[in-house]
Amino acid sequence: MTSSLWQQELKKCVKCGACMAVCPIYRQTGREEMVARGKLNLIERLNDKNELPPGWIDAIDNCLLCCSCEENCSKGVKITEIIADARHRQTEQLGLNPIKKSAFSLLKNRFLSLPRFLKAGSFLQWLLWRRLPRHSGLVRRLPLPGLDEKTVIPSLPRRHLDDYLKKKQTASGLKPVLYFPGCATRYLYPQMGLDLLYVLERLGFKGVVPEELNCCGMVTWGSGDQKSNQELKERNLETFRKHSDIKDIVTGCASCGHALKEYEDLPKECEILDISEFLFRHREKLEQLVGAKQLDKKITYHDPCHLRKGQGITSQPRWLLKLIAGENFIEMRHPERCCGAGGTFGLSHKEISREILAEKAHDTDATGAEIVTSGCPGCLLQLTEGAVVADSKWQAQHPISLLADLLRRGVS
Amino acid sequence: MTEPVNPIRNQFIDELKQSGFTEKQIVVADESRACYGYDATRQSADPMLVLLPDNGEQVESAMRLAAKKELKIFPRGAASGMSGGSIPSDDGIILSLTRMKRILEIDQENMIATVEPGVITGELQEEVSRLGLFYPPDPASLAFSTIGGNVAENAGGPRAVKYGVTADYVMGLEAVLINGEKIKSGNKCVKSVSGYDLTSLLVGSEGTLAVITKILLKLLPAPEAVKTSLLAFPSMTAAALAITAMFKNQIDPSTIEFLDRHSVNAVREGLPFSLPEEADTVLLVEIDGTAPGVLSQSQKLKELFKDDALLLIEAKNESEREQLWSARRRLSPAIANLAPHKINEDIAVPRSAIPAVIARLEKLSEKIALPIVCFGHAGDGNIHVNVMLNKDDPDQARRGHQAIDEIFAITLELGGTLSGEHGIGNTKSAYFDKEWSPPTIAAMRAIKKAFDPDNCLNPGKIFPTQENH
Repeated sequence: MTSSLWQQELKKCVKCGACMAVCPIYRQTGREEMVARGKLNLIERLNDKNELPPGWIDAIDNCLLCCSCEENCSKGVKITEIIADARHRQTEQLGLNPIKKSAFSLLKNRFLSLPRFLKAGSFLQWLLWRRLPRHSGLVRRLPLPGLDEKTVIPSLPRRHLDDYLKKKQTASGLKPVLYFPGCATRYLYPQMGLDLLYVLERLGFKGVVPEELNCCGMVTWGSGDQKSNQELKERNLETFRKHSDIKDIVTGCASCGHALKEYEDLPKECEILDISEFLFRHREKLEQLVGAKQLDKKITYHDPCHLRKGQGITSQPRWLLKLIAGENFIEMRHPERCCGAGGTFGLSHKEISREILAEKAHDTDATGAEIVTSGCPGCLLQLTEGAVVADSKWQAQHPISLLADLLRRGVS
Repeated sequence: MTEPVNPIRNQFIDELKQSGFTEKQIVVADESRACYGYDATRQSADPMLVLLPDNGEQVESAMRLAAKKELKIFPRGAASGMSGGSIPSDDGIILSLTRMKRILEIDQENMIATVEPGVITGELQEEVSRLGLFYPPDPASLAFSTIGGNVAENAGGPRAVKYGVTADYVMGLEAVLINGEKIKSGNKCVKSVSGYDLTSLLVGSEGTLAVITKILLKLLPAPEAVKTSLLAFPSMTAAALAITAMFKNQIDPSTIEFLDRHSVNAVREGLPFSLPEEADTVLLVEIDGTAPGVLSQSQKLKELFKDDALLLIEAKNESEREQLWSARRRLSPAIANLAPHKINEDIAVPRSAIPAVIARLEKLSEKIALPIVCFGHAGDGNIHVNVMLNKDDPDQARRGHQAIDEIFAITLELGGTLSGEHGIGNTKSAYFDKEWSPPTIAAMRAIKKAFDPDNCLNPGKIFPTQENH
């Protein structure tokens, strides 16, 4: 946004306080500068000044970009965009956090350094981390800065989604759709990607995964690194244009979907779809495929912020879960509340993130479900940590994996 | 940013720390204080200091220490107020009560909740409803406003027509006087006439008499059923007659919201149902109670208006109910599109005077050449009057100001009051003496003086200040 647009946007806030009802950070801290209207007030007041006071930086850092305030704002103020812009200003002035800086340069160097870096990590991770019983994730072996004994990090697989795809055989005669897996699925949860591709195949679609796809840019945008964000976006758009004969671009990652839908100049004929939207469009066929099969475990659902508040998707995942589990799908209390992951927020603001997570874990526990589902890898990782923190047995899974398992039943 | 040296403040902070306040409870940084000086009126001031007490004892010690230095105290809840009730002065201390948010007890036998002032009204409602109980007051801000703020401003809401306002539910209080002493009023007794009714005095006193630290609230059994209907009429007069007819026919709605012609036009596009061309006034009616009672009353409603109403839709389920309410909920953003700014007053008149007020406001709108949009709580005569304008245009600003004067004059002439539910605060204090006579105001000032002789507690609110005279 340009600075005059910024000013206009800031003026739209009437400080009614509606953001207080939904902001997870405010809920935990009770501090006015941590809620959207307080942050906007800080940003507005600082416009003419140069120096960023510590309280300002702390407030701007303390945002999950979960969009809860935006969804609840009757004036439609583009709050997350303003926050991301403020972070951009902050990085312009103070530079990007060095860890993020190196991480983003890895992101942008996808072909050479990122996969190699992660694969090297997959061998070395066992020195520092151990596998969690019952869950797919790791916890530390030794004291590490910023990570406590309950912090769950994803285990780094030796093979990435791309490695599997190189050897994958696909039946002929399938209609192509473009599949945007996103970094988390690609490098951390390749099985989730394979599950999604399997479901597509059963429905008669071939998921095309161009190797040159990049990070969607969400994490760079949220960190105020607009330059990297722009670069990543341009590269992805180029890929989309190259494949513009394929109309549907699907993703199983709520954050990627949210970011992609915000791209201003998508090829006209392309449409970004969350996998739940895509499946809902092909519900007749899917319902036929599922038939009488049903998951006999109790499951519940957590709305990923970037799906519900970012893209307004609430009913399609629920339709899917009812299809998979019927009466065994139980709603939790406040499924819309953020889980506290917020990209890298969980690592940079462990304490608040944990407090937010504890409530989510409590609401999950109360359902008695064995599996909590969510359409976002970030949420799934956080929810796994939730089970560890709450000492609970439930697992976190993407609905697409449950669906794939169901469809694989009886198929050799 | 360098902090100006403020020896009194520094000394006060030291004393607070000695009395048990932690670093986190004392907000000193410029940028943080700046977030405790505004409310929903768009006014803003930076308090000298912000305190976040955890309990009543901390409020007592803070006020005791502040009194010795004659510091000004400004109590603050969620600061969602519409009349500037929590706006501090730059030499004042904000006492933010948001951390005192415990529901201390829900006494099911006596149907009374005991709460701290920072409890969010909607959260209390949710908690009691899980026990089959009901706390009726429903200000539009209930999802984020605090009970303490509701009590201090005597907040109302759409349900006031049947269930009354916050005051009707406060059975007792604990509050801290300006010198740091705690007082108590009321109890759990339904009948209680021992001494002056300090509860009634403190409710709606806008934080000018004492800082409320504990509240006893009356609860009701939760209604079994709710039925929502939307009715459209060709004129405001027809709608007003319809409301009278409802009561005459023993229909006892819990809510009657109305949208005037301009409101209707603002939301007409994009409603999930279609409104007839001639629809001028829309009523949103809710009937609650026992299931058979609701059924028979809504039958009666349909029977009564089958000829007169241009449209009558009854919600069959929760999603249809939400669709009908969307007409009302969409209103605020929809009218925001009419002009960059609005002046919003919440006058109240006796129910029968609504058509007269609306008619005169129409004329006023023509005279000042600015749109005036009215909607609100027709059941209880509380009208939200919105003058739409561009404040950056000096001529429009002048006409807007003139409009307020005339709106209040019309209201008072028709037996109404300056504020139905927002309070006087500092935005309406200049008009206070238009409503009340000098001896009446003198009596109120005497009460203020008895509680707060040096005018240190939320000064600048309710009473006209010297500059206004």
